[in-house]
Amino acid sequence: MMGLQVAVLCVVLFAPIAWMVMASLKPSTEITRFPPELFFSPTLENYRQLFGRTDFLENTLNSFYVTLGSTALGLLLAVPAAYAISWHRLVWPATLTLFARMAPGTLFLLPWFLMFSQVGLSGTHAALIITHTVITVPIILWTLLPHFDGLPRELTESAQIDGCGAWRILFWIVLPVVMPGLVVATILAFIFSWNYFLFALALSGISSKTAIVASFNFIGEGVTNWGALMAAATVIALPPILLTLLIQRKLVAGLAVGAVKG
Amino acid sequence: MSAQRAASLQALMWPAVLFVFLMVVFPFGFAFWLSLHDYKIGQTIRFTGLENFLLIWRDELFWNGFRLTLQLYGLSLVLQLVLGVALGLLLNRIQRMRSLVRTLMVSPFMLPPVVIGMMAIVILDPGMGVVNHLLKSAHLPTSLFLASTEGVIYTIVLIDTWQWTPFVALIVLGGLQALPQRIYEAAAIDGARGWRELVYITLPMLGPTILTAAVLRSVDLLRFFDVIYITTQGGPGYASTTLNIYAYKKAFDFADVGYASALMITLSTIVFAAVLVFSQFRKKVSW
Repeated sequence: MMGLQVAVLCVVLFAPIAWMVMASLKPSTEITRFPPELFFSPTLENYRQLFGRTDFLENTLNSFYVTLGSTALGLLLAVPAAYAISWHRLVWPATLTLFARMAPGTLFLLPWFLMFSQVGLSGTHAALIITHTVITVPIILWTLLPHFDGLPRELTESAQIDGCGAWRILFWIVLPVVMPGLVVATILAFIFSWNYFLFALALSGISSKTAIVASFNFIGEGVTNWGALMAAATVIALPPILLTLLIQRKLVAGLAVGAVKG
Repeated sequence: MSAQRAASLQALMWPAVLFVFLMVVFPFGFAFWLSLHDYKIGQTIRFTGLENFLLIWRDELFWNGFRLTLQLYGLSLVLQLVLGVALGLLLNRIQRMRSLVRTLMVSPFMLPPVVIGMMAIVILDPGMGVVNHLLKSAHLPTSLFLASTEGVIYTIVLIDTWQWTPFVALIVLGGLQALPQRIYEAAAIDGARGWRELVYITLPMLGPTILTAAVLRSVDLLRFFDVIYITTQGGPGYASTTLNIYAYKKAFDFADVGYASALMITLSTIVFAAVLVFSQFRKKVSW
């Protein structure tokens, strides 16, 4: 009985994803056939079309620039901050970043839009990296806080007596110890930055358009080429799914931690 | 610990704090300032005080969005919590293939919303989608799903429930595994089993965990934007124009900056109020 329940659960959860991948490998005429053929000779034609006839390759590269840039900038800002916040047992700076996690993203779009046009950054990669860092900073901060909180204070006190500066202590003594937490934080930040839709939708320009926004435009253009559409979906889904497999066990704890402590 | 060293550690925090002030706090204040003005792109900006908020009060589309937001929120939250708890209890009893099941569970909510939207559009297509084919061959009534004025909001509830119930279930599973086993042993001695054990012991002890899941889902559901905008852009007509979608359209389709900002401030207030209510509630139930 329980085995059956679990089997049904797995099918319900996984069938749409399997459907997407299968459709991306079928000739367009086959996709809408019912009943669908489960065994077919796969073709890469949809992927060839996707990357050949559109700017999708460039869009995908843009996605990587924005995601990697915002993850790196997020680490640079949030890792030292998490360390300081944890050491001094401060509450308000962490709560402040939670504010960014709770506010509707649309709230920021108009101010950002006006701010970026003031400084001439409208539609640039830099503008997208900065806005996506608003997503990565709270994730990294809140994932790391419990790890820093768990460190024994003696760990760094002897280094301080030897006269090491704060940055050197952080890099050479503290970070190696919290490495597992740092990996989870980095991967979560990457996934959420990669997945985020709204900021790039409203603020990207022609040269900085991400794969996510490009795929949305495929839908809007009334593309009935389901094969290419599903190929694009599969390509976008790949990075988060692969990274999820790496850290699946720690991932949920990482996601819930902000709420548990807040 | 010298005062000098304490100061130097605090310095590690300032870049991030400065960033959050510049990109979150200042824009929030800016949006509030904009909400007090009549400002359409290309026209001069004019201070109007609370007029935008008075206009909102009399705006039928605002109340339409408000109703849709609450409908979407209430239905999804209840469905996801009930199914999530049931799934969590089921997962807790699984002995074999735990890691495989867990991987499958994580996949839906780690997928980009745009992928969810594209899958939904193809799978739920009224004419050629596989779900209607399946319904037809089972002699069940088919549906227009995302193209249906009455059905679109329920379709979005179903999509979001598919995506996020596993998340709730995994949080519940974490809570279940943290429960002290002694209590169950004591309960077994007292003869509490099955449903009684569930209702009188497990669920009350899971209270804080369920509330945590409820807060996380509330924040996301009240400001839900991406999958709705990707699949329907608020349509057909205004049938899925929730508050967030409405505010976005006012800003970017109609360039009505002042009014859109007032809508967004209103929505933010609703989200913060919900979080506040839940956190008060959570203080009471935590043990």
